[in-house]
Parts: sequence; C-alpha cells; structure tokens
Amino acid sequence: MAFQARMYTDSETATVTIRLVGDLDSGSAGRLNELIAEASREPVRRLVLLMDRLSYLSSAGLRCLVYAHQKLGPGTDIVLVGTRAEVADTIRLTGLDHSVIMQDPADV
Amino acid sequence: MGADRVTLLTCAAAGRRVAEFVSSLAGQVGLAEGPAYRLRLAADEIVTNIGVHGYHGRPGPVELVGGVEPDAVWLSIIDEAPAFDPTTHDPGPRLAAGPSHAGEGGFGLFLALRGLDDFRYRRTGGRNENTLIMRRPVDTTARPRRTETS
Repeated sequence: MAFQARMYTDSETATVTIRLVGDLDSGSAGRLNELIAEASREPVRRLVLLMDRLSYLSSAGLRCLVYAHQKLGPGTDIVLVGTRAEVADTIRLTGLDHSVIMQDPADV
Repeated sequence: MGADRVTLLTCAAAGRRVAEFVSSLAGQVGLAEGPAYRLRLAADEIVTNIGVHGYHGRPGPVELVGGVEPDAVWLSIIDEAPAFDPTTHDPGPRLAAGPSHAGEGGFGLFLALRGLDDFRYRRTGGRNENTLIMRRPVDTTARPRRTETS
C-alpha cells in the first residue's frame, strides 16, 4: 500500500503530529525522515505518530524511530498511537518500545 | 510439482515486488495474517540486505521461488552476490546499544530470522540460496506445488 505522511504542528504546545498511512519500508522511510528533520528546526516537546493506518513497518521504518530519537533529543517524547499488532510486535522485538510511548487511541 | 517464480533487481521498488509475491503465495494457501506478515517482513529484509551489502547498493538480480507443502509455505531467495549466511549475523551488540547508538541500522536480519518458523542457507553454483519457511496446519487434500519469480 502506498505510503502517505502528513504533518501538523501545534506551536503553542510544541507538539508535532504525523499521520502515517500505508507501508513504511526502505522505499518510503526517506519521506518520514524528511518530515522529522523539518520538525526538528523548532523545539519539539512531543512527537505524536498516528499509526492506526500504518499497515507495514520494516527495519527501514524502525530506523526512522531511531532517527527521530537522535534528531529530536532525549527531551522529546515520541508517542505512537494506535499501532497495529504486527507493527507493534516488530517494534517490541527490537526493544525500541522502551524508547517511545505506545498508546491506544482512547488514551490520547 | 508446480512453482511460482519471479526475478527482480534490487532497488527501492524491490520491496513492492516482494510484497506482491508473498501476498500471492500466502493467499493461495490461506496463510493467516500474522504468519503472512512475518514472511513478507523476512523476505523484504533479506532482499534489502542483499541489495545494500551483497550488491553494495547497485542493482543486482534476485530470484524468488515459492512453494507450498502440506504443512508449510516456503520461499527461496537466490542471489549472485558474494557468499553470506544470514545466520552468522550477531544482532546482540545492536540490540544492546538502543536508539542512542550512532548508527541507525542493524535490525533487519534479526527481524527476518526471528519471525520465521525455519530458515535454511546454502551456497550452490556460485549463488546464495536463502529459504524461508512458515509452518501451517496440515492440509491433507493439498498437493505440493512451486511458485517462481525472476
């Protein structure tokens, strides 16, 4: 499924929200990294990734999470909302779930 | 024994063709969503690794051959890069390093091998042959068959 990513910024709360749709793999990870780099130009307290329509995540997509962690710094919370089971399993297998906050949509 | 076979070149679009091939193979036997997802992930990671490390980022040929047995679905990924056995890769240092690690990679082969029920590697005829296997409930009515992509 074709990858789409749309970013919204709330300057008052320093919150950046990115909705992810489709497959995040080696062919599409560059697009998300571009948005993360763009977001990092201003202070970001919270990066929210809306994951409920993300159908696939490869190691290239995981590298985006690592990139976000490194680019935004330890003072930024990275929140994954509504992650599908298979995608969440991939994140947990690598231990990256300990570096992000995984939430159900109802918790937001 | 029939077969599904396709040959592709390692490039940014290879993941899409791998996904289509695995989807077709899984669909033919009604493989459950979870195993089908893990088979796609493993195949994607193996092909990506071949492109990045085996062919050093240059397009190179990869052949996909898929087959069905009464108790399993298998997918062989065959390339002409220098010999490399993915089971010799040690993911331990990368997993221990966490997200602050200077490099961002290192998870692919770990994810690939961890999600499969079985994996076999052999070097034959100057080519690497990686075979990915997912078990499935025994279907006593099914006849063995192969699917190939080149």
